[in-house]
Amino acid sequence: MTGITTHVLDITTGRPLVGLKVDLYDVATTPPTRLNSTRTNADGRTDAPMLPGAAARTGQFELQFHVGDHFKAADALSDVVPVRFAIADATQHYHVPMLCAPWFFSTYRGS
Amino acid sequence: MPENVISLAARRRFALSGLALGAAALAPHGAKAQTPAGPAQASGPIVLHGVSPRLTVHALDTFHGTAATGLRIDFSVREGDGFKLLRTVTMNGNGRSDEPLLIGDSYRAGDYELLLHVDEYFARKQSRLPTPPFLSKLPVRIRVANAAERIHLPIQFGPWSYTYSRGS
Repeated sequence: MTGITTHVLDITTGRPLVGLKVDLYDVATTPPTRLNSTRTNADGRTDAPMLPGAAARTGQFELQFHVGDHFKAADALSDVVPVRFAIADATQHYHVPMLCAPWFFSTYRGS
Repeated sequence: MPENVISLAARRRFALSGLALGAAALAPHGAKAQTPAGPAQASGPIVLHGVSPRLTVHALDTFHGTAATGLRIDFSVREGDGFKLLRTVTMNGNGRSDEPLLIGDSYRAGDYELLLHVDEYFARKQSRLPTPPFLSKLPVRIRVANAAERIHLPIQFGPWSYTYSRGS
C-alpha cells in the first residue's frame, strides 16, 4: 500500500474520534493546494485514503485536523492542528495518526 | 532483628543515593554540556507555579534524549489569513527560550504559531535521515483564549513524531 492515511483517536475517551473534518494540502505550491477534505468514520479513519495509492508521489504535504469544531472547549489549546510532512519515497505507505485531547496533540509516522 | 539491620542498611543506601543525586543536580550546567548525547538531566525542575500570566515553551529532543538546545523557533501571531512573525528564538541549554514568548502587555488572547526548524536541528546533529526528512519546518499552532491564565507549552519531538500539550 502507498499514499497517505490517517487515524484519529480521542485520548479523553479512549475511543476513535468520529466525524472529524480532515483536510490534505500540497504545501509545495503557493498558495497550498487542497487535495482532499473529508470526515473520519466510526473507526476514526477515513473511508478512502487521504491520498490514494494511485496518486502517491514525493512532495510536501499537510494534514489539517479540525479539532476545535469537535471538542468545543473554550480553553482548548488548538483549533486546527496542522501536521506538515514530506514523502521522500512514494513507494512507501505514510500513515500519520493523530492522538488528541483539547490540551494534548500527538502525531507520528505509523504503519 | 536481622530484618531491621537490613532495612537500616537499605535506608542508608537510599539516603546516600539521594545525596549523590543532589550533588548531580547542583553541578553547573557547563559541566553537563560537555557530556555528549546524555539524557535530558540538564533540564532541572523550573517552578512556574504562581508566576504572572505568560507563554513559555520547552522543547525536548526525544531522539537524543536531550533538551533541544540550539533549536530555532519562529514565533508568529495570526493576522487575518496569515501569520506575522514576532521574533525568532533559539532554545537555550535547558531547551527553553531565555525569555517568555509573551509576558505582561504582550501576552494577549489570539492565535499563535511556533515554527520549529527541526530539519536544521537534526542536520546539525548529523542525524541520518531521508532527504527530504519526514519533518522539516514543524508548525505548532496554539490559541491563547484567556490572557489571565499562564500557558506553558512543552513540545517533545523526534524525526518521526511530535507531541505538544498544555503544561504547567
